[in-house]
Amino acid sequence: MPTGNDTVIIGIGEYKVGSMPMASIGLGSCVGLVIHDRQTGTGALVHIMLPSSQGKTDRPGKYADTAIDVLIKELTQIGSSPANLIAKIAGGSAMFKTFSGNLNIGDRNVEVIRKLLKDQKIPIKGEDVGGSVGRTIFYYPKENGKLVIKKGDGTLSEL
Amino acid sequence: MKLTHIQRDALQELGNIGAAHAATTLSTMLSANISMSVPEIKVIDISEIYKYVGDEIAALVLFQVNGEVKHGGYLLLYIPKTSVIRLTNAMLGLTDVNRELDEMDESALLEVGNIMVSAFLDGTAELLNIIMLPSPPQLVIDMPHAAIESIIASQDTEDIDEIVLFKTALVSDAHNIQSSIFLFPNHPMLEDIIRRLEELLNPPA
Repeated sequence: MPTGNDTVIIGIGEYKVGSMPMASIGLGSCVGLVIHDRQTGTGALVHIMLPSSQGKTDRPGKYADTAIDVLIKELTQIGSSPANLIAKIAGGSAMFKTFSGNLNIGDRNVEVIRKLLKDQKIPIKGEDVGGSVGRTIFYYPKENGKLVIKKGDGTLSEL
Repeated sequence: MKLTHIQRDALQELGNIGAAHAATTLSTMLSANISMSVPEIKVIDISEIYKYVGDEIAALVLFQVNGEVKHGGYLLLYIPKTSVIRLTNAMLGLTDVNRELDEMDESALLEVGNIMVSAFLDGTAELLNIIMLPSPPQLVIDMPHAAIESIIASQDTEDIDEIVLFKTALVSDAHNIQSSIFLFPNHPMLEDIIRRLEELLNPPA
């Protein structure tokens, strides 16, 4: 895969803003959200784990609500105009069927992210979500915000 | 969260005993020697899990741990894809290594997983004098990081920022089979295990 040394890996609950290539390894029920500025060729990738922060502020990238707020804030600070922002999402799968716990957490992550993006008037220009497979994603801000997705079933696609 | 030296040693010993039991059963199934690594115990921030488990496709047999320990945790048998084929071949006397995984491999994995994980829990339960039972297994052939993050995210009792990773490798040189056992204790289970281990070390007067 095209992971150069300059690719920044975004772990669970983390985010980065910039124009360097970024990647998230092995998304399961988590969602990789890209907010991309079409004008400047910069953007952000966040690896969201849960839908709601419930007031917590220490890891803004971990929760959909705080993640979207912090991404928009930081992109605006480096000169992005909200009107130029678009979003792409990948992940939110359900890999287990029988264990106890919130097995539909992936769906809930996706649902909440869609709603929050709509509230912020950021259009979703591509998504590859749901199903039961893992995904590794590569985001290239300088190549028109290209998002390459490698899936657990061996397929490769591009948004 | 920080584990003290004593807690780390105690967990390591617990894992040693469990893994040794599991290795014995694997050795019987393969009629071959199994070497076992010293268990690794690490407290890992969720943002760094990808440094320990990646996205190389592997077979994962997962068990939820139930029993006297509340909220349990997860035990996971991890076998890289190439080793799975060699494992099934060794068990069934087959020779073709250039084939895709099929239902036969899946049944073999579930069976091996069940036997090894039950042995692991028998071993640790003997030491701690508690009963821990594995749930029915779930087999996932996919990216290990994706499976593990899904488990962490689905815990509705806790909002997890770090995990305790317990890992030991079991290797058969004769058949060139690699495998690892991972234990992810949830907090209440970890505390319960540590308390019981400390009692073993310092019996109440």
